Amino acid sequence: MADRSRVSEFCVKVLLEAGIEKAESSLLLTRRHELNVDSGSISLMRTTDDVNLSLTGIRDQKRGSTSINKTDDGFIRDSVLELIELVDAGESDPINEIAEAQTAESFSRGPEEPDVDLMYTRMKAFLGYCGTKYPNLILEQAILDHTAKQRYYSNSNGVSFQSVRGEYNFVVVFISRDGTSTSSFNYVGVSMEDLSKELHTYDGMDRLMGQSTDQTVTTNLEGSFTGDVITTPECMEDFISTITRYLGDYPLITGTSIFKDSLGKVIADERLSLHSRPVSEELAGGYFFTGDGFKAENSTIIDRGVLSSFLLGLYGSRKTGKEKAVNSGSFYVIDPGNTDFDKMVESVEKGILLCRFSGGNPSSNGDFSGVAKNSYYIENGEIKYPVSETMVAGNLKQMLKTIKHISKERVNNGGSIIPWITFSGITISGK
Amino acid sequence: MKRLDLSRYSDMFTGYTELRVQENRNNRIAMVDGTILENSRDSASGVSARSYRSGSWGFASSPEINDDAIRHVIRAASDNALFLDRHENRRESDLPASSAVGEWDFATKKTVAFRKDRIDFVKGIDSYISRKFKRIVSRTVVLNTLDMEKQLITSTGSKAFSMTPRSLMYIILAVDTSSGPVELFKVPATLGQFEDVFAKPSLYYEKLDRLYEHLLRKAEGVFPGTGISDCILAADLAGILAHEAIGHTTEADSVRGGSVAADYMDQMVASPLVTLVDFAHTAMGETCPVPVHIDDEGTFAKDVTIIEDGVLRNYMHNRESALEFGVEPTGNARGFMFSDEPLIRMRNTAILPGRSTISEMIESVEDGYYLIQSSNGQADSTSEFMFGVVLGYEIKNGKLGRALRDTTISGVAFDMLKTVSAVSDDMSWTCAGMCGKKQSIPVGMGGPAIKCRINIGGR
Repeated sequence: MADRSRVSEFCVKVLLEAGIEKAESSLLLTRRHELNVDSGSISLMRTTDDVNLSLTGIRDQKRGSTSINKTDDGFIRDSVLELIELVDAGESDPINEIAEAQTAESFSRGPEEPDVDLMYTRMKAFLGYCGTKYPNLILEQAILDHTAKQRYYSNSNGVSFQSVRGEYNFVVVFISRDGTSTSSFNYVGVSMEDLSKELHTYDGMDRLMGQSTDQTVTTNLEGSFTGDVITTPECMEDFISTITRYLGDYPLITGTSIFKDSLGKVIADERLSLHSRPVSEELAGGYFFTGDGFKAENSTIIDRGVLSSFLLGLYGSRKTGKEKAVNSGSFYVIDPGNTDFDKMVESVEKGILLCRFSGGNPSSNGDFSGVAKNSYYIENGEIKYPVSETMVAGNLKQMLKTIKHISKERVNNGGSIIPWITFSGITISGK
Repeated sequence: MKRLDLSRYSDMFTGYTELRVQENRNNRIAMVDGTILENSRDSASGVSARSYRSGSWGFASSPEINDDAIRHVIRAASDNALFLDRHENRRESDLPASSAVGEWDFATKKTVAFRKDRIDFVKGIDSYISRKFKRIVSRTVVLNTLDMEKQLITSTGSKAFSMTPRSLMYIILAVDTSSGPVELFKVPATLGQFEDVFAKPSLYYEKLDRLYEHLLRKAEGVFPGTGISDCILAADLAGILAHEAIGHTTEADSVRGGSVAADYMDQMVASPLVTLVDFAHTAMGETCPVPVHIDDEGTFAKDVTIIEDGVLRNYMHNRESALEFGVEPTGNARGFMFSDEPLIRMRNTAILPGRSTISEMIESVEDGYYLIQSSNGQADSTSEFMFGVVLGYEIKNGKLGRALRDTTISGVAFDMLKTVSAVSDDMSWTCAGMCGKKQSIPVGMGGPAIKCRINIGGR
């Protein structure tokens, strides 16, 4: 249909007319402009448009969902017919429900249109900067994009949300080579609302690219020991992602979450507070409403060591009988600590500065193991040398209680704000 | 997807250009503990064009498939290439101008199943598990099918159509232990649509019985010691090793980006027992799980023998890297969605079978591990890799011992492959995985079992 802002409402109407009892629809329109660097040169410019129109219907407590990337009436009506086949073939489940009525709202943030010439200028300057400052660094890939998203959500309880959001994203993947010596690859990404700053000045860019050029010659650790691990903000972001997966619908519904009985209980050192802030002014990224039709709010997940919220959606909440989260997670912020990063290193007798963790999926009891990538050996309070073929193993649940220090310094990459954290009692093993 | 006459747009092409119309259709049913948590059908279709001008590329896509949209994406792709060419002025040579024409349709010839048939299949699997396996505390069955249908023309005269379906099923079982729940999963996956792959639940009962037996043994399992050990990697792990740790380093764009394989051409990088091939569409007379006959640049896809008898022999190429390396394109350029530009991707990567039997290989290990199934894997430009291992057993004095709890193996592939001392005479394939490299895309991987020395970690 011509007016795309009315599509999701139209879909709800058509679903109800077709006999669906409870209906919801969301429409996402995405326009992306993208500059790509391959092997050090700007080689590709992309402009892509896409649409995602999702329909969900419930009848006789049976649920089905379809999604298409068209908004023409004919495609919508076909999709409704498909949905009815899915619903009728489904199984009755009294837990199926849609979001209750809320006040209609519209949201917007960030630039809706890109400045393509400035994108090119910034990318070119970044390549020049890297070539001069890091001659051994190879940019395997760099992508600078502007992404504009229009989202609409409607349901048959009268919920109606819409948002317009624009942001720039920059991600760079790099290695370093010195003769025939090659470092492990590393990457860093940032989201931003404008291109007012040169790309290399964002948090982490210079630090990680500089480290890469130091990592062409590495040392294998001998033997195994139990020591301290300082996780960098980039590495900690991955650990948070793993930890919060235990708080979502699936592991709590199946009862396999290591935190299933921990709500309101101490699960971490009292200095650790973890928040999810999808509507924070501090972060360039975020969202205004959830996929299941609720206005998003910021939340605290771990409050001074106590698990204060799961990340359950509407279905998971009703299925488990536990409280629904006020957002869908992500955009994590950890409160700063009171220790300077340098002092954290000085306090390590024997351990690792863990800059990237390449690990297997943790087992259902939280055990994890994996390889310390782009990482450094620390001994007697000094960073000694970059390591290779070094394994790190522990248990996520125990690890959260063994925090020694949290840094004052934090990295804001537009999608999270995270400090360095020292954990003790981690198994570190070489060849 | 409606077939279109794309050739009528070829007069709009300025320089090397691809025009692709594509639809991906995905069906998913997820049942957890007897309740359907997901019952969904998705489709995404559209048109894209990619244009090349003296070393600069332009790409554009639209979800609309009509005359206006097709003309728009061709012009936008050309404008984008022109924008970059004006700024970059790279003055690269023209791309190799080969062409290929053909159609490959792997759609079912059977009557298309109703939704109810699919749900009944999932219920049949779930019901068997619930009925037979008494210690299970959680069970998940997910049926997932993907159809990828593409039409392509290029300015070099290529014209292709393909419909490549993939069907897979996740089965995840959990039992309780004193240290918490222990899980194990299995993912049968193969080329073909639901109607051709999942005939009836009873065909999977034997696999389910074996999965449950493994899970019960894993629940009583132990953590392996840490350090270098003699290990036998079953096909699943040998396949992911071939893909992640060797395959990615030998994609020509990775080589150009500084991968360690850049220094190893024609050098001994593995035991002479190791020959590793990225098959285009057919291996040992059988159709591969992800057959690619013509790639998304309109090049006939051919097998790439990456390692031959232990010596690194070839990289995988698209048209542009072939031009740079002075070789023929190998047909490895693929895009996942209509809105994705083709990248150099593996197709079906495997070590070729050898002459040993699995039982001989196990008998030859005095103290080591038989590692059967992986969860995930990563590798980098140095060929250093890490794989999660969710199923394995100790080997003591040539016999299988206790099961292992989840662990991790790691090493440097080009070092580790030199320790291969036996390769089994059997072969198995899977296409359960999605390979991530800017875009995710289905890939085939497989192989025989290999005996090697590898770093095993864990607690």
